[in-house]
Amino acid sequence: MQPILSIQDLTVTFGSKQGPRLLPAVTGVSLDLRRGEILGLVGESGSGKSVTLRSIPGLTRQYGTLAGKVMWEGRDLVAMSDASLRPILGKDIAMIFQEPMTALNPLLTVGVQITESLKAHTTLDARARLRRAVEVLDLVGIPGAAGRLNDYPHQFSGGMRQRVMIAIALASTPKLLLADEPTTALDVTIQAQILDLIAQLARDFDMGVILVTHDLGVVAQSCDRVAVMYAGRIVEEGTVRTVLGDPRHPYTNGLMWSVPQDVPPRTQLFSIPGTPPSLWNMPPGCAFAPRCARAEARCTAEVPSLSALEAGHLAACHCPLGGAQ
Amino acid sequence: MTEPVLKIEDLHVRFPLGRSLMDRLRGRPGRIVSALNGVTLDLFRGETLGVVGESGCGKSTLARALVRLNTPSSGSVLHEGRNIFVKPEIAYHRRVQMMFQDPHSSLNPRMTCGQILAEALTVHRMCSPDRVPARIAELLDLVRLPQDSAGKLPHQFSGGQRQRIAIARALSVEPEILVADELVSALDVSVQAQVVNLLLDLQERFGLTILFVAHDLRLVRHVSNRVAVIYLGRIVEIGDSETVFRSPVHPYSQALLSAAPSLDPDERGRAKRLQGELPSPLNIPPGCPFHLRCSLATERCKQERPALRPVAGRGQVACHLSEEIANAN
Repeated sequence: MQPILSIQDLTVTFGSKQGPRLLPAVTGVSLDLRRGEILGLVGESGSGKSVTLRSIPGLTRQYGTLAGKVMWEGRDLVAMSDASLRPILGKDIAMIFQEPMTALNPLLTVGVQITESLKAHTTLDARARLRRAVEVLDLVGIPGAAGRLNDYPHQFSGGMRQRVMIAIALASTPKLLLADEPTTALDVTIQAQILDLIAQLARDFDMGVILVTHDLGVVAQSCDRVAVMYAGRIVEEGTVRTVLGDPRHPYTNGLMWSVPQDVPPRTQLFSIPGTPPSLWNMPPGCAFAPRCARAEARCTAEVPSLSALEAGHLAACHCPLGGAQ
Repeated sequence: MTEPVLKIEDLHVRFPLGRSLMDRLRGRPGRIVSALNGVTLDLFRGETLGVVGESGCGKSTLARALVRLNTPSSGSVLHEGRNIFVKPEIAYHRRVQMMFQDPHSSLNPRMTCGQILAEALTVHRMCSPDRVPARIAELLDLVRLPQDSAGKLPHQFSGGQRQRIAIARALSVEPEILVADELVSALDVSVQAQVVNLLLDLQERFGLTILFVAHDLRLVRHVSNRVAVIYLGRIVEIGDSETVFRSPVHPYSQALLSAAPSLDPDERGRAKRLQGELPSPLNIPPGCPFHLRCSLATERCKQERPALRPVAGRGQVACHLSEEIANAN
């Protein structure tokens, strides 16, 4: 099946052109997304997962330089002008953010904020827009939707605000939803509700979703495929079942073991020694080599490329862990 | 288990809100946030007690009350038989140390790591002034920070290292009890494991008692001996950590503990989903505070507040139906 979105060799660098050095936030990321698929993008802070996501609609343009391609319906979003992006963003490609209180306008009612995008992207009249607004609020599970159009964001709880933000994103029935840590600020009980909602909407509307998160549990419970990022590169990619069930990159494996699940209580947890490298000061070769127990001479000299270990399971490692026995 | 080091008895903490002009005009009374509504708890020597609950349930209020950052409206906390709120003692502040979630705001950005530790040592007169540098070196070694750290400012450290400074500061005054409020919540998973390992190791070496407040349920399960589940300022279930996590009795604990996303994709969709959200602590429902979200709620639950009472083979549970639930599974 043809992917709806295809990221090809995306590289994002920050820093002024006059400045002495450029900061490589994302290096050579390639990803495909199919219709109705939920792709998890997981990594620690500073791994470049949010920058990758925000570069898809070009939100990082004004701060940095983008290279590579983001192919959407036969067109390269990176090469398009802001004016030609406008009809696509908010209509075909919608985005939700981590902190709904800063992403929503506190001075406008949620009704105004939902109909705003409908006004820009559809030919509906004012009454039809309001009807659609009630419909989407109802869809995302806000009780008494019709009565809440005139409420302001502060009158909603954290979980309800995130639902409002999803409703705004859904109003124009997008084909792609970009979700940047949508549940990180929420309680586990509310997180479960929101993830269920996103999964159900992806299924019902055949919508592709890229979900950025740092929680492997969220990936396991809601994604179809997952890409693990470390220091600006994808280090492992595959279906959730293969990557989490049989991690081949030592970093993914370390992350899995750092989560206290099915280990005897109050014993020492497995931990990856050291800290992620600074993007200003990247080690030569594999970025994970200084923290890796399996590192060989080759790892500190040569950057490993992302290659298929088996069908649909890729890892960027010179000496990957040996597959399931 | 031995005698409790800290006895919390019927602790209530209320925060009055300012009355708005409209309230005054209409003669309405000021509104009150009831953060803690009668928490009774014993903390035993050498144990780790995990405290879990949704945000706004009062778990941080409880932690802060123990170091007297919040003043209770009623109830007491007894330390060696003395109520800590009646007669403030500098010794108590030495023996109970708190560690906070955000090391950006809990470490003074203009003081070097060495100055931060030296301040704690001199305020409590832990050692003679000429011994201070040696003691700082010892402490840095203890939390596995490099020796040149003493001259650096907090912003020169990573998040995990800053939490190590906070741990070193707490340990510098040789406390008995550590109160860890979301100590590792702001850290990445791989760094989280390092800090948790350090905490477990230090607890064993110094026989520390730890109150571990966190919203990461897997982590609480891992570090705790006992765990308390809090809902709207009340303990709804408390007991041995493995028992509570493996077979929770209270319907709220069941829903909360199953909400932690499992790493196994095969368990997808199996968890019991909790409907609705936490009611506002401004307006706590009568009867069992959980009855609005509970699928088992009966007429009695709406009228009468269940007391926390022991259930055979389990811990203590505040639910009218606890025996039926415990027998059923």
